[in-house]
Amino acid sequence: MSAHQRGTELDLSWISKVQVNQPAVLRRAEQIQARRPVKKEWQAAWLLKAVTFIDLTTLSGDDTSSNVQRLCYKAKYPIREDLLKALNMHGKGITTAAVCVYPARVCDAVRALKAAGCDIPVASVATGFPAGQTHLKTRLEEIRLAVEAGATEIDVVINRTLVLTGQWEGSDFIKTSTGKETVNATFPVAIVMLRAIRDFFWKTGNKIGFKPAGGIRSAKDSLAWLSLIKEELGDEWLKPELFRIGASTLLADIERQIYHHVTGRYAAYHDLSMS
Amino acid sequence: MRTGVIGLVLPPTFSFLEMMWRICPALAVGCTVVVLVPPASPTPLLLAQLAGELGQFPGILNVISGPAFLGFVLSSQPGVQKVAFCGAVEEGRALRRLLAGQGPELGLALGAESLLLLTEAADFDSAVEGVVDAAWSDRGGGGLRLLIQESVWDETMRRLQARMGRLRGGRGLDGAVDMGARGTAARDRAQHYVSEAQSQGAQVFQAGTVPSESPFFLPTLISDLPPACPCTQAEVPWPLVVASPFRTAREALALANGTPRGGSASVWSERLGQALELAYGLRMGTVWINAHGLRDPAVPTGGCKESGSSWHGGMDGLYEYLRPSGTPARLPYLSENLNYDTFGLAVPSTLPAGPETGPSPAPPYGLFVGGRFQAPGARSSRPIWDSHGKLHGYVAEGGAKDIRGAVEAAHQAAPGWVGQSPGARAALLWALAAALQRRESTLASRLERHGVELKVAKAEVELSVRRLRAWGARVQAQGCTLQVAELRGPVLRLREPLGVLAVVCPDEWPLLAFVSLLAPALAHGNTVVLVPSGACPIPALEVCQDVASLLPAGLVNVVTGDRDHLTRCLALHQDVQALWYFGSAQGSQFVEWASAGNLKPVWVNRGCPRAWDQEAEGAGPELGLRAARTKALWLPMGD
Repeated sequence: MSAHQRGTELDLSWISKVQVNQPAVLRRAEQIQARRPVKKEWQAAWLLKAVTFIDLTTLSGDDTSSNVQRLCYKAKYPIREDLLKALNMHGKGITTAAVCVYPARVCDAVRALKAAGCDIPVASVATGFPAGQTHLKTRLEEIRLAVEAGATEIDVVINRTLVLTGQWEGSDFIKTSTGKETVNATFPVAIVMLRAIRDFFWKTGNKIGFKPAGGIRSAKDSLAWLSLIKEELGDEWLKPELFRIGASTLLADIERQIYHHVTGRYAAYHDLSMS
Repeated sequence: MRTGVIGLVLPPTFSFLEMMWRICPALAVGCTVVVLVPPASPTPLLLAQLAGELGQFPGILNVISGPAFLGFVLSSQPGVQKVAFCGAVEEGRALRRLLAGQGPELGLALGAESLLLLTEAADFDSAVEGVVDAAWSDRGGGGLRLLIQESVWDETMRRLQARMGRLRGGRGLDGAVDMGARGTAARDRAQHYVSEAQSQGAQVFQAGTVPSESPFFLPTLISDLPPACPCTQAEVPWPLVVASPFRTAREALALANGTPRGGSASVWSERLGQALELAYGLRMGTVWINAHGLRDPAVPTGGCKESGSSWHGGMDGLYEYLRPSGTPARLPYLSENLNYDTFGLAVPSTLPAGPETGPSPAPPYGLFVGGRFQAPGARSSRPIWDSHGKLHGYVAEGGAKDIRGAVEAAHQAAPGWVGQSPGARAALLWALAAALQRRESTLASRLERHGVELKVAKAEVELSVRRLRAWGARVQAQGCTLQVAELRGPVLRLREPLGVLAVVCPDEWPLLAFVSLLAPALAHGNTVVLVPSGACPIPALEVCQDVASLLPAGLVNVVTGDRDHLTRCLALHQDVQALWYFGSAQGSQFVEWASAGNLKPVWVNRGCPRAWDQEAEGAGPELGLRAARTKALWLPMGD
């Protein structure tokens, strides 16, 4: 992650002057998906790059140390070795950006990653994920415990009560949603968020990161997200320090695409290892 | 009923879709089409192949792939009823001059420049995307004039420049490019404009990734172009954007309406009231609000001023290929020896025929300009003889200066008249009808002196009164909402006044024709300058006495005098928005030729009299259609 942001004074006039025209944003969102298609070896390269942005996530009620361990191993070896060898990308350190788990599972994740000899950060969701409707004291305690257990990144759920009453907080990254809503990461919403990030950078010089989460399942989608970031913010944001994709099944689809690119055949479910 | 054989002359920059949008309506109403396209692109070949597949009806669509001058040849073929020309302004002008007096009617759709008006209450990022759609893509037609409110100038320029850096140019079939190339001619034009602008001191910013081979041109943003520079009046070529600042909405409208182009524009503002105010105030054929470049075949697309007055799409597009039932086919009426430079130039002097015998006639009528009768500039009058050869009266000898004054008065009265509610306009027309009714006996006797039977004269006056009432009743803010398939939100088809309408009235039916032409023009919000019948102008001047007391000053202006001379002045006047001429064949030809000056839409009778007493010809829908112009207003919705 980048160095801690200094932050700025809250100036609500910045927000009140912003106008967003929904039909125009919708039109732009449609265009983005069609405008920059990537094919063949460039597509394979972009897919590998997309892998390095994934926050490999497991947030289900029945998480235990065994599936967390499997997840961490997958985070270290996201793509099968022989496929990477065929692309001449083995040994280049292709791992996912982070592993994202519930606070209670952080110590399992840290242990598993240490055993695998991997130094990717462990991110923890905290503060009453996903609804955020717990007391401030318990929320702060949760964060403290997660950090003690070894998490180096925290996905904080903002207090929507405060938002709806106009009281704002600051952050290093903005995320589209918890990923547990009915509508999660869509392009129109993302476009507006990215424009806000760019405006903030122009005004203050601070670079804020962006993480879409929830609903990104296909490799094609991930490519569209990458080109969206590249078009709206530029290459500086195409780094794990400033861009993450919160996903769980995305990795499987990317691996299948790479399998197809290397071998020319479509993989069966059992050809690729589980995460 | 359908027009007949249509000749379409299309430029090479048209996409296949745009060509089909012009061909299909013509075929749909039953016309047959000959298309001429320069061979710069393979599209005409595809078109020709398609035409060949219409095996059942060979010959309904014909495609010629050839150089532009063949357009003149095509237009002069006998049997071609209408020529629709799409392309550059100068070529359109030349075609208009060449076709004066020839058979076909001419429809022009010229120029491809558009306008984008960005206020401070807009979504800037989306507006920047609008600029990209308009100018730096393959969807837009031509260059873009960008008007940015001064308070947000720096922010917008910064966003534009950042966005330009991400544009990619390349061959069209590469899926990941934003724009392709349009040929070396287009590139040279763009280069020429840029050099001109730079030499005048403008700032030129170019960015984006574009192959350096010949026909590709970098997306360009020009700012600080001095307003007095010749570039500001010239059309902006593709892919250039010329940005200028404005301070208030009023200034924006003045700048936007201050060029001869009248094609399409977009207004970007999240304040509904402001957006609509600007949209209604722009003199353009198509206005988008918070969007740019949306098109649909059900929406009429066209322009005004020098963008030509022909339409495609929607009802207006269909009317282009139709003519009123019963009108005969158009034949050439060319008069070979008409000298355009001398037609109507000199006024033949009228000397008194001899010593006057008989009672002294009433004092001469003046010109009716600006709401009152005034003496003509030349300070002379011409006599009007009745059917027995006796002197009926004197009317003013109007000249060029009087025409100028009349047009100015009409322009001054225009904003007030347009601003009147439809109800107020209707009330005034009905009041005029009532006044005419009261004047019936005087009018009838005046007509009688010119050989019209008393019964017929009375009927003429009656009919005139009825026509005024009818048009008064038809006054309403004519707009309707169109259904567009892929849009959420309405598209309005507005009918707006043309502006100042000049009418040269026919000699037949001196009163009825005068009123039949005046009423629809006024009903649709125009102000008028009329030249009444040459032989019998006095009934018209009588009507003016009522107009003086009832209608606002300058709304109706009547100038008498030598008809050819006055026609010449009106036809050459750059600030008359349309001209209707009902006179001689030679005059019709001159009017068509002279209209090329400001490309005003004209309606001529080619020397053939018209049956003004028949409903179809005297009060038919054709009059209503010609008396106003259309504007398509797009209102995409969503929050």
